[in-house]
Amino acid sequence: MSIRLLALIPVAAAISLALSAAVDAVALPLFLDTTGTILATALAGPGVGIATGVVTSAVNTLRNPTFWPFVVVQIIVALYAWVAARAGLFRSFRTAVPAGLGLGVIASVTSTPISYLVFGCTTTGGIALTTALGKALGLPPLGACFFGSFVSDFGDKAVTFALVTSVLHGLPRRTAARFPWALRAIGAV
Amino acid sequence: MTGLRLHPFTLLAIAGALPALAWILPAPVGGAWTAAVALALTLTPGASPGNTGIGSSPDRRPGFVVFRTAVLTATPFWLFLLLLHDVPTTIAIGLRITTMVASFVWLVAALEPPRLVEAMIAAGWSASVAYLLAATLSAVPGLKTRAQRIVEAQRCRGLSPRGGIPARLRALRALALPLILSALHEVDERALALETRGLVPGVRRTPLAPPPDPVLERAARWALLLACLAALVRRLIVASPT
Repeated sequence: MSIRLLALIPVAAAISLALSAAVDAVALPLFLDTTGTILATALAGPGVGIATGVVTSAVNTLRNPTFWPFVVVQIIVALYAWVAARAGLFRSFRTAVPAGLGLGVIASVTSTPISYLVFGCTTTGGIALTTALGKALGLPPLGACFFGSFVSDFGDKAVTFALVTSVLHGLPRRTAARFPWALRAIGAV
Repeated sequence: MTGLRLHPFTLLAIAGALPALAWILPAPVGGAWTAAVALALTLTPGASPGNTGIGSSPDRRPGFVVFRTAVLTATPFWLFLLLLHDVPTTIAIGLRITTMVASFVWLVAALEPPRLVEAMIAAGWSASVAYLLAATLSAVPGLKTRAQRIVEAQRCRGLSPRGGIPARLRALRALALPLILSALHEVDERALALETRGLVPGVRRTPLAPPPDPVLERAARWALLLACLAALVRRLIVASPT
């Protein structure tokens, strides 16, 4: 791994953790906690993306211990983003948003068993409330848990993919060319 | 023996073993024991090295501050569990989550990142791995401050975070894009600084002040691992006939 890619990992992880300030400012029910993982993968490939996801989870765990079991989700997000980057799905919002929605489904399918078995679906207040809503709608416990995860992940991942697409297109071509996957991800090569 | 004197790997082993045991041992008794141990750890004098109290309570014992943080962090989970489950399930899962929260809150209070880095380098870990953790921890506050400045600057330019979801998403883009792009421009500067300091991936460094790692602590770490494995095997064997 080159020294530039090594330097990218903590910056990308810090982006995921610092974006909460922007989200709070616009009062949207989003996490954007995989932005750095998806961005690092789109720029530099799956190895850097997975490392970013693991570091993000490790540092997030120091603030909230319930994040650690979800490190698996970060790894799956990185692998999915790599496939999306290879296919050039970050070339426009028209391709990126559906790809993000697909990731939302995969992320909620992955996180539901962890959330259900380890935490009884109480990872965050929002998810607990949407799970309670699912139960009130008559869903079985696992179904209600999936409903809670799905509601929170579906839109979040679509917005994250759109944001990463904006960033990749906003990067000066010379800067983008320094990262091995950036141009391919936006369909420029 | 306080958290301050323990080797960083021992602190990590304890903080990892307690939640593992909480999930492996039969509920609710196993979880009650591990939660009690974890909460007791937050009261140890070494839980906040160099800390003489926080905020409005500077005269309080640092250990009590850590204990209070653990309790306040765990409390919402109990409320959400009560909302979703019956009382026995709430107690079983709640005790496990309390163990996890208290263990990590204690770990964060007791573990000094520079000591961990020194211990990792002394143990033969690559300096790059130690860099990743330390650099992320140090980068987050800086980026959060920058994010706040961008929020204020965009508000001065007339950006409104109000309105419907499309308007808010446009506002989010205007806030997040400058933050991410400016952070990415830092990567080259960081890479240059790393190269200048000789932090090339794969190179071993010599620790300046490696924390002492007594035989007793090494044995204790192995004992913790074996205890977790034994509890897991026992649980599987006891559970399988039923």
